[in-house]
Amino acid sequence: MSATNYEALAKKIMARALKRGAKQAEVFLQVGRNADVRVRDGEIEDLTQATSKGLGLRVFVKNRLGFVWTSDFDPAGLDTLIDRAIALAEMSAPNPLNGLPDLAAFGKLPDVGALYDAEVASLPPDWKIKASIEMEKVIRAFDPRIKTIDSVGAGESVSEIYLASSSGMHGSSQGTSVYLYASPVATDGEQLQTSYWYDAKRFFEDLDTPENVAAKAAHRAVRLLGAKKVKSQKCPIVLDPTMAAGFISSIAGAANGDAVFKKSSFLAAKLGQRIAPAHVSIIDDGLRPRGLATSPFDGEGVPTRRTSIIDHGVLKAFLYDAFTARKAKTKTTGNASRGYRSLPSISAHNLLLEPGTLTPEQIIKDIPNGFYVTAMLGHGANTVTGEYSRGANGLWIENGELTRPVQEVTVAGNLNDMLLQLDAVGNDLTFHGATGAPTIRFKELTVSGE
Amino acid sequence: MERGADFAEVYVERNEFTAVTLEEDKVKSAQNGLSQGVGLRVISGAKVGYAYSDDLDEEALFRAARTAAFIAQGGGSEQSFRVTRTPLPTFYRLDAHLADVEVSLKRDLVVRANKAARAFDQRIKQVSCSWADSTKRILVANTAGRLAEDTQDLCRLSTMVVAEGKKGERRTGSYGGGGRVSFAHFDTFTPETVAREAARQAIAGLGAADAEAGQQTVVLAPGWSGILLHEAVGHGLEADFIRKGTSLFAGKLGQKVASDLVTVIDDGTMANARGSLNVDDEGNAAQFKVLIERGELKGFMYDSLNAKLMNQQTTGSGRRESFKHLPMPRMTNTYLAPGEDTPEEILKSVDKGVYCANFGGGQVDITNGNFVFEVSEAYEIKKGKLGRPLKGVTLIGVGPEALKNVSRVGNDPMPDPGMGTCGKDGQSVPVGVGLPTLRIDNMTVGGTKVGGKR
Repeated sequence: MSATNYEALAKKIMARALKRGAKQAEVFLQVGRNADVRVRDGEIEDLTQATSKGLGLRVFVKNRLGFVWTSDFDPAGLDTLIDRAIALAEMSAPNPLNGLPDLAAFGKLPDVGALYDAEVASLPPDWKIKASIEMEKVIRAFDPRIKTIDSVGAGESVSEIYLASSSGMHGSSQGTSVYLYASPVATDGEQLQTSYWYDAKRFFEDLDTPENVAAKAAHRAVRLLGAKKVKSQKCPIVLDPTMAAGFISSIAGAANGDAVFKKSSFLAAKLGQRIAPAHVSIIDDGLRPRGLATSPFDGEGVPTRRTSIIDHGVLKAFLYDAFTARKAKTKTTGNASRGYRSLPSISAHNLLLEPGTLTPEQIIKDIPNGFYVTAMLGHGANTVTGEYSRGANGLWIENGELTRPVQEVTVAGNLNDMLLQLDAVGNDLTFHGATGAPTIRFKELTVSGE
Repeated sequence: MERGADFAEVYVERNEFTAVTLEEDKVKSAQNGLSQGVGLRVISGAKVGYAYSDDLDEEALFRAARTAAFIAQGGGSEQSFRVTRTPLPTFYRLDAHLADVEVSLKRDLVVRANKAARAFDQRIKQVSCSWADSTKRILVANTAGRLAEDTQDLCRLSTMVVAEGKKGERRTGSYGGGGRVSFAHFDTFTPETVAREAARQAIAGLGAADAEAGQQTVVLAPGWSGILLHEAVGHGLEADFIRKGTSLFAGKLGQKVASDLVTVIDDGTMANARGSLNVDDEGNAAQFKVLIERGELKGFMYDSLNAKLMNQQTTGSGRRESFKHLPMPRMTNTYLAPGEDTPEEILKSVDKGVYCANFGGGQVDITNGNFVFEVSEAYEIKKGKLGRPLKGVTLIGVGPEALKNVSRVGNDPMPDPGMGTCGKDGQSVPVGVGLPTLRIDNMTVGGTKVGGKR
């Protein structure tokens, strides 16, 4: 089916749902293809190629919500699906706040630039195999202690989204992504250690080289060999950019307008307050050029935008979709996220912590005794209570230098307190997927070990 | 096979989903979904080609077959293969498929759960409840002559609550369960039971004290705590990690990896359990497998590819999330065999420690064996008795070391209520866990308070 046909199909189903009794209807349709290769010992380990499609239909009947989705576009099946959606609406409770976004929420879509790279869309399968074999070679040559590899591979995907809403909004968006990943395993005869590195971009020319990805992964694994527990203590904690990205994702989770409305977020009562030092600014940038999560509109057709969540230490905004915004008597921020199999829910687009001026070396240099964290285990952050506790691996800091490797400890604190303790922000902003952060330092957290 | 592959397989799946969600005292949505498609796998030596599509027309299927066969480089010929239907036992027989049960009945369960949670205590401020079920039909046929079909129903009722105490203190509680069970299961495992347990946990946690960081003796309550076993050893015994040498259990078959008290079993044949399978996603019968017996490593979990490459037999552990994924070795229902101590004796044996009553989730790095285990309801143990509730407790350890420190095993085996989902390489599959009351010494407890001053 061609693009015009998908667009027409989305509109047709939406219109038919209205005819069958829905007061409002919306179709979210996704089409995509992807390919992935992994190699082992210079040969293909597995090669996967696929096409996929699906649509979700959301209807409102007398302020009641019904939702159906399918991957089967057979016309007869789709017809039954519409009736089902309307019947399902009868099962849910009427809520006057239900409905598609208010007309005022739509409007002109932003110019987000190109998200589709023809080069990615037409990459030959050979490229993935060659790039992966090259990564494997670099890893093997990096250090004799690397004895095996968990996986090393490459892939790309092409995706299209079509949205047809009875509010009058129709839109489509096409995008590509391409990625490389590697996770080597090192051993010193007693202990095994692994790490991983990957890069994912929308444009081929932006993608890191296979050599760099492989070397980073290998370096991160080898340096953990010989890791041991440390004594339980309070000390400064440094998170490398990948771990810092995880931390700011937790903060963005607490800025979810729905959690805030239900008072199920530790940030709920803090809008407008200073919650972190002035060098902390967290932004959700739905417009970031070539960003992996950049899109002209969100999951319900609302234009995306740039939302400053924490601006110079002050909590400025929460993230909303249309329904939650109506509950909270505010406006949607265009953060309705979804796939065709799910109803919209609130999440960030491209999330980032603005970089500071310090180099990672400068951040570590001041620490007489502390912990540089390069890997974490567990979900760890409870955004309702603010409690934070995660398993951590990394390198111990002594007199401003990275020294011996550490494992089997936890780092714990409270998100409220951690934001206030965030006393240094690096200049090394690194985007891993759609979330970017530089190296950060907390003045003092609890390490549990021996 | 015209390209000279060793093996080819067709996996066809049709999965119907129903969900009902409730929040803020209102049924928010009722949902239906349908996912169907086919996955074609071709194996040549150790190389695997895979293609999937949600289009089932002939042209799409041939295109997928050619793509999957890209990895094979020999010359072969087009041929047909005789397949024989494999007779199957049934570990889950339902009165009716869950997809055929009226949505209004499912809605009634979440409405009842919400009511019971709110009625439990005035301090319960937020309640969200959900129902989710699926009826999945699969068919697997391969060039080794196997043909298997199965219908796998699965459901779960869940409740999550937030309680508010003094000075705005908030505690969460969650509980749920189900499995491959008839809808009538909820006549006995009632929504009220689920809701009250979630509410009880949240209320019990109000006023909890900070946990002391460092090594302590811990006692795990029976049931859902089996997630510890799942993380600490289960994943490390999956054959793909063993073959690649990325698990710290690789090469340790026959060796002592745990205390004598530890016997670990993975059993895909438990009646109506969430992780049970009549056949795995490669068409092989699920099995009862002893992984560790009295501390000695006895065996691994194999899918057919890793079994073949390692000269072993499959253990019926080849699972995949859907037709969009390659099968790999996975756990089914993983539990620790019961011991001889009563739970009371175990508690009494601890002078100072932490009692872990309920658990959030866990994660493991199978390479270095580090695992974490989030404890959502914990109490201090003083002189053999439960004391104050503790908050923010995380357990961390290295799998085999923790298992060597198991010093007492209860005589009270208990499966979890049917709420586990396991993730590996981006694929989620339903699993069961189970554990009797267990005492582990020298476990590192993560907390915010550094002790040793008293």
